[in-house]
Amino acid sequence: MIEVDGLTVRFGGVTSLDGMSVTFERGTCGLIGPNGAGKTTFFNVLSGFVRPAAGTVRAFGEDLLSMAHFRRARWGVRRTFQTEQAIEGLSVFDNVALVHEHSTLPGRTRRQDVFGAISFVGLAADPSARVHTLAAGERRLVEVARAVVGRPKLVLLDEPAAGLPDEETRHLGEVVRRIPGYTGALTILVDHDMSLVSACCETTAVLDFGKLIAVGPTAEVLRDDHVIRAYLGTADV
Amino acid sequence: MLDTASRAAGRQRSPLRRPSTPTLVNAGVIALLLLVALLVLPQLLSLYYIDAMTQVAVYSMVTLGLGVLVGRVGLVSLGQVAVLAIGAWVAARLLFATAQPYPVILLEAGVATMVLGTLIGLPALRLRGLYLALITLMLAGALTVMLATVNFPNGGHGFFGYNGSAVHIPAIRRPSIASSDPAYFRYSVIVAALMFLLAALHIRARPGRAWAAIRQSEPAALAAGINITLYKLWAFALASFITGVAGGVMAGAVHYLYSINFPTQDSITLLAVVLMGGAYSLWGAIVAALLLQLLPALLNNWGVSADWLTILFGIGVLQVLTTAPAGLADQAPKDLARLGRLLLGRLRKLTGSVRGSQ
Amino acid sequence: MPSWQDFQPFIVSGLALGGAYALSGVGIVVLYQATGVVYLAFGAVGAMGALIAWSLANAGTPGWAAWLVCVLFGGAVTLAYGMIFGPPLARRDPLVKAVATLGLTLVLFGVMDLLWTTNGGQSRAITLPTDGGGFTVGQVQVTWTQVIGLAAGIGIVVVTEVFLRHTKLGTAMRAMANDREITATLGVPVRRVEAAAWFGCGVIAGVAGLLLADLVALDATTLTFLVISSLAAALIARLRSIVVTFLAAIAIGLIHDLLTPIQSLTNYRDMTPFVLAAVALLVLPRDPVITRSREEI
Repeated sequence: MIEVDGLTVRFGGVTSLDGMSVTFERGTCGLIGPNGAGKTTFFNVLSGFVRPAAGTVRAFGEDLLSMAHFRRARWGVRRTFQTEQAIEGLSVFDNVALVHEHSTLPGRTRRQDVFGAISFVGLAADPSARVHTLAAGERRLVEVARAVVGRPKLVLLDEPAAGLPDEETRHLGEVVRRIPGYTGALTILVDHDMSLVSACCETTAVLDFGKLIAVGPTAEVLRDDHVIRAYLGTADV
Repeated sequence: MLDTASRAAGRQRSPLRRPSTPTLVNAGVIALLLLVALLVLPQLLSLYYIDAMTQVAVYSMVTLGLGVLVGRVGLVSLGQVAVLAIGAWVAARLLFATAQPYPVILLEAGVATMVLGTLIGLPALRLRGLYLALITLMLAGALTVMLATVNFPNGGHGFFGYNGSAVHIPAIRRPSIASSDPAYFRYSVIVAALMFLLAALHIRARPGRAWAAIRQSEPAALAAGINITLYKLWAFALASFITGVAGGVMAGAVHYLYSINFPTQDSITLLAVVLMGGAYSLWGAIVAALLLQLLPALLNNWGVSADWLTILFGIGVLQVLTTAPAGLADQAPKDLARLGRLLLGRLRKLTGSVRGSQ
Repeated sequence: MPSWQDFQPFIVSGLALGGAYALSGVGIVVLYQATGVVYLAFGAVGAMGALIAWSLANAGTPGWAAWLVCVLFGGAVTLAYGMIFGPPLARRDPLVKAVATLGLTLVLFGVMDLLWTTNGGQSRAITLPTDGGGFTVGQVQVTWTQVIGLAAGIGIVVVTEVFLRHTKLGTAMRAMANDREITATLGVPVRRVEAAAWFGCGVIAGVAGLLLADLVALDATTLTFLVISSLAAALIARLRSIVVTFLAAIAIGLIHDLLTPIQSLTNYRDMTPFVLAAVALLVLPRDPVITRSREEI
């Protein structure tokens, strides 16, 4: 469970997050909103790349914001990025092992855990292949494998299917749905693809201009007038 | 899709343990080159070129250190020559003041330089790319001025070991087993080979993987749990250690050290040749050292001014930077190292086809 | 400890030197703001210009013509570099752009040593006509050259501030410093503005080269690496504020020269710019955001 309370982030004159308060309980939760709503900023706060001006985040009972950024990954925060960030110079195996070897997990189980994560995401590529030789969809899967290896507590997926064709998006959707079961982690999915969000997430929160405007079961949220208005931008109904 | 992946995983029982053909060929080439350097070159070359090649061995360690920083981690240092000077200074001081065996002195020089490099590097590591490079330039500049005043040890007493009024300056000693020039050349090649081994071990292990992540994307590295400051420091420490050892070897090579031999512009030419040789590959460090020390010796012998080399290096920097698509540490740069790699590739294909026909 | 009287001449020379550093520093800052390039070849360009002027003067060319050639040389070389190597590197990290100028530095350095070698042991000197005349302040002689040095520093600050704030070209440069892409979409002739910035910086380099050749020494190595002192001032100003660059440069020049009569420290006075810049850089506030750099170095 993640409890966010009054989270505020400012960049110069712009307030990216404005007193955001929400609780993510379990399973896979969606986080949607128009561009610039603050979704990636929220992830950046959780990852420790951005220091909030105010607010707290308690994750599984611990104060997340007091941990140094690289320690959060060890604690169990994993994320993928909007622009895919698999390390090109390393092999598939090394990419996933990277997360494992910088965590508190034992070295004995490393090979097992890494191969497990690679097969979980359904990546058929040769594990010793360099990532820069892989296609975009496979590189995304490497990123997701890095997010699920070991024992993550919180998995943050930032538009994992962006730019992928339908078939691969569907496959990713299936993988994302199984993440909580495989890892026991709370998963937050940011995406613009509403069919992906509906398929994967039981609950969804909606951000607009840094403020939370709706949260609840996904189907209801997607029908909410305020949410529709936020996306379409009309002031009157 | 899941089945094929686990089957593939099962087949790949040890993708990392069994040495692949390219690695074996690489090892073979390295062994061959080492044999040539240790056995053949000392017989063939005149003392003039033995001296030049000893400098190549020394500077190959310096270019190795800078290559690790620039090519593997993405940190540019414009002060490696000052680091070399520190190593040489420490070694010279200890060689005069103590009767310790040479390898011990080299280790001490390396460690002392490493400690200094890490202490200085620690606050500087907060800085990003350009500012980090500029602060290394500033710190190196300060060190160079200090060195000009303090001078290199020349057998005198006191902490600085410098006797300003001495008429006869003792030569810096060499190891007893390698006192002749050809013998010292072999000695320096062996030390260099050990340093390359040290660097290679780092690159293949956890530090190398962490560095690859840091170089590409610091957020991704942080998200993987990598302590970026620690690994950057580690890289600085490694580069400083190797360069410090190189300084120690240089002390014995030249017998007499003068601060004028470590000018600021050499740090710039050093970066230039590292870029031209290819900062990412370890072979690039050797190419860079050859450019830096063998070419000038050749040109000097042929009566051509070394200034042409300076101009060449300047053009080289511009060429590498404007043509390398991914950056200074491009893994497939359009430079001299590519030629070497092409040849290696041909060799691999040859051995591959030989194996296939068996 | 030397007396106040011993320090006096060094206050004057320090101010003059600081003024020349300020001139260079401002040139570097303005070019960086307009193009994102830290022009490390600044010193080398000025050095070569000064050497050309010296050769021309020796060959009989009238003084003013030789200096004009020096200044134009600075502008031309810098403009050429900016036009040829600016565009292919425009989107790269500032570090890459700065290292590229090191390439130019090496080329110029090699050419200078080829054409004006110091192997013969000869030393050269530039004398400007303003070296001769001067006036006395208290007990200190002040030459007109020294006045020009300080005046150049002050002048460039005033001129640049006015230029950036009150001219179309200057406003365009400030816009480009902010965001090059957006400025281009606003219809500003980005290429032409950049060309103006490069040429202007090169001209300043030529003038600074002449001044420093006179005040310090006409030596390729010395002048090329003297840019580091000006760079130090620019870094203290975080490559942003022109006024801070000026103040830092004056401080560097003053402290450097004031250390001269102090026996215990005089040998270390050349460390002044390095130490000041290093301290300033290390005292910089930490970035609140970690930016992603897909841009490798």
